[in-house]
Amino acid sequence: MRRIVTALLLLAVAVVPAVAKEKIYGKGVAAGDVTPISVVLANPDQFIGKTLVIEGTVVGVCAHRGCWLSLASDVEGETLRVKVEDGVIVFPKEIVGEKVRAQGVFKANRVEDTAKKCDATREGEPEVQCKTVYELFATGAVCNWK
Amino acid sequence: MNGFRKVCRWLHRELGFFAVGLTLVYAISGIAVNHVHHWDPSHTAYVANSRIEPPGDGETEAVAPLVLERLALQEPVKETWRAGREVLQVFVQDGTIDVNLVTGEVVRRGNEKRPLLYDVNFMHLNKGKAPWTGIADAYAAVLIVLAVSGIFLVKGRKGLVGRGGLLMVLGIVLPVVYAVFARRG
Repeated sequence: MRRIVTALLLLAVAVVPAVAKEKIYGKGVAAGDVTPISVVLANPDQFIGKTLVIEGTVVGVCAHRGCWLSLASDVEGETLRVKVEDGVIVFPKEIVGEKVRAQGVFKANRVEDTAKKCDATREGEPEVQCKTVYELFATGAVCNWK
Repeated sequence: MNGFRKVCRWLHRELGFFAVGLTLVYAISGIAVNHVHHWDPSHTAYVANSRIEPPGDGETEAVAPLVLERLALQEPVKETWRAGREVLQVFVQDGTIDVNLVTGEVVRRGNEKRPLLYDVNFMHLNKGKAPWTGIADAYAAVLIVLAVSGIFLVKGRKGLVGRGGLLMVLGIVLPVVYAVFARRG
């Protein structure tokens, strides 16, 4: 019995440092250049379809499913949404305020103000007012990588 | 056959006792996370309003320290962010504090962990990864042994060739039918 307790204590000691390390979501982030969010948002159309690595402080997260987060730009007030596949990567609420680096494909979505898909305009019907929302569809992210 | 049934009984009894705790963890959490579209199964949300002396909408480097000083938080601050000309956000462990730099209004939105449910959901959703992955896999294997050994516990009319068999078929048909209809939908 004493041996079992000792083994469990040793296991707990080994596990604690592992938990305290950086947190990797999904496929993580490959080493490479980071594109500042302000650069991306200054000329978003030239980045569409490209794989990017971005980083910033998390200023918002999907409350229910953890399927997106909002990263603060290096320019005050600017943010970029990082979307992940539902259920594959789940960001916890506690991630708000942490530094996150994410990798994925930059996309532009045309949406109505009501956030519906912008494909409702039909011939003879009033034109649906749409706007373009940019987001990084991420395959992986790392939290507190420094 | 009696020897085999004896082994099944032994396995079912011993592993059944062992599985009680883990089954309760997964069952309670299962109900909780099944309704994730209705509620947050792991946290309760709160909003608290207060006011500080307005620091003004000057440069962030100047106003952020003033805000932190006037908030006089007893907890570590993770980060601050200027969300707009008049708004500074302060991030703490359990939430976000929005400070209106002009009016001094403070709105704190946070989440508190639900007692018990946070922990069982943490395990069920395997948020801890590495150590729990092995435990959960082993538990799944135990469930398989329990399910299979359970088939052979009772013989006769209440067993596999009688009512037990019918209930088993029902339990297999139910998810199969659902899967077929769900795929069509």
